Amino acid sequence: MKTLLSALLLLLATGLFAQPLELPPPGPRDTCPVCGMFVAKYPEWVATVLYKNGHAHHFDGAKDLFKYLHDLPKWAPGHDPKDITAIGVTEYYGLTRIDAHDAWYVIGSDILGPMGHELVPLETKEDAEEFLQDHGGRQILRFDQISAPLLKKLDQGQFD
Amino acid sequence: MKAFIRKQRYLIDFTLSSLLRRPGKNLGLLVVYSLIVFLLASVMLFTHALRSEARLVLADSPEIILQRMVAGRHDLIPGSYLEKMGRIRGVIGKHGRLWGYFYDPAVQANYTLMVPRDRQLAEDEAVIGAAIARTRGVSRGDFLTFRSTDGNAYSFRVSAILASDSELVSADLILVSEQRFRTFFGIPEGYYTDLVLNVRNPKELRKVAEKLTLRLPDTRPILRDEILRTYDAIFNWRQGIVFVLLTGTILAFVIFAWDKASGLSAEERREIGILKAIGWETSDVIRMKFWEGAIISLSAFLLGYLTAYGHVFYANAGLFEPVLKGWSVLYPEFRLTPFIDGLQLATLFFFTVFPYTVATIVPIWRAAITDPDTVMR
Repeated sequence: MKTLLSALLLLLATGLFAQPLELPPPGPRDTCPVCGMFVAKYPEWVATVLYKNGHAHHFDGAKDLFKYLHDLPKWAPGHDPKDITAIGVTEYYGLTRIDAHDAWYVIGSDILGPMGHELVPLETKEDAEEFLQDHGGRQILRFDQISAPLLKKLDQGQFD
Repeated sequence: MKAFIRKQRYLIDFTLSSLLRRPGKNLGLLVVYSLIVFLLASVMLFTHALRSEARLVLADSPEIILQRMVAGRHDLIPGSYLEKMGRIRGVIGKHGRLWGYFYDPAVQANYTLMVPRDRQLAEDEAVIGAAIARTRGVSRGDFLTFRSTDGNAYSFRVSAILASDSELVSADLILVSEQRFRTFFGIPEGYYTDLVLNVRNPKELRKVAEKLTLRLPDTRPILRDEILRTYDAIFNWRQGIVFVLLTGTILAFVIFAWDKASGLSAEERREIGILKAIGWETSDVIRMKFWEGAIISLSAFLLGYLTAYGHVFYANAGLFEPVLKGWSVLYPEFRLTPFIDGLQLATLFFFTVFPYTVATIVPIWRAAITDPDTVMR
């Protein structure tokens, strides 16, 4: 019985993850906590961090989202990483928001975001590979591979 | 503050009565001035309204239209191309469209016949635009009969009349069923006028178009932005032509206004001399003349702009219609939706009111600083 229940729960959970994330959209006056730009003007790039109490931070690109996550005390004093319930990024081809942990990120492509060189989020590995081919990308990365030094190099246009 | 406003009021009062002392000259100036503003504003309002309408129309149009080309001409496209192009990343929807033009000799106008995707129509049913209903004098439940290319006459029962924000979209539109469309125009099953693709991310549009031309070499993808740019270019070009035609008039006005504003007549010099002799200060004289210029140019601007507004949006811009609308003279009559662009209004204001007011100031200042005795002599 117990195994059946856990299997059912697992099924539910995976079922939920396959769906696009339900996140609040950025308001017209919401600014990115990292760069200070208005987010709603760049619907193709919106990334969102949702907290337990329903309050959300929006970013105008995955790069700023990762900078924020790597240094939470600096960009969002008084926020606890444990309170984060969802992290979403806008997937390139369909412009739906997906879980940032499941996305594949391409760097070094010819597609620039509002903040210059970007981590372009894609839904599947195949999407990422074709995007890399089409747009001259350099590398495909997963969520855990993205480090603070890499982001710094990305700002300077270095991808290796 | 109050004293300042009261002073300006007295000055304006004096200016108005001094303007009325020479009614013929000043009224003539006002009329010519208003006419110039009217012409310029009409062209600006009209082209801006057309451009806004085009933008409104294209807002809902698909991101990419794919046409098949045969010997450089647009041809029917087989529905199988939808599978032939395969799955292209970034494309979230694709389908074939059926539409075409039909010339109605009864009212000498072109209609657009189209098969709608969002509603199912019975075979003899048709939904028509408001302008067609007006020109043909039909309403719901009436029949419209057209002769098709194979010589047979087909009757359509009008089941509804389209309502839309923009009459330009729906004015000449007739929605018919797919089956009737194919028999009426003789288009075989499985063929479409063109294919449309929906792409969510505008950044991916160019890549999708590139892949399309590689996979289907006999087709031509048309991006929505390109259509918009073309419209913009056409309207800008037409606006330019009208402006060129108007240059002569504008130049004549500039000379006239310059002469009126800058050359002071002996009578005006005398007036200034008397004012100074009875104790007016130079600054008061300049202020008085500033109000004179401002009153004339402001009222001419308002008058001209308002008549232009009426001309474009109520009288259908009768003066420029043939030049600005182009091919659409073969079009059922339609009304434009009023659009006003703040920046355009400001530009027109700056180029008409501002120079005139400034041009009046300098000679007055020169006359006002000379000794009243020399001026009056």
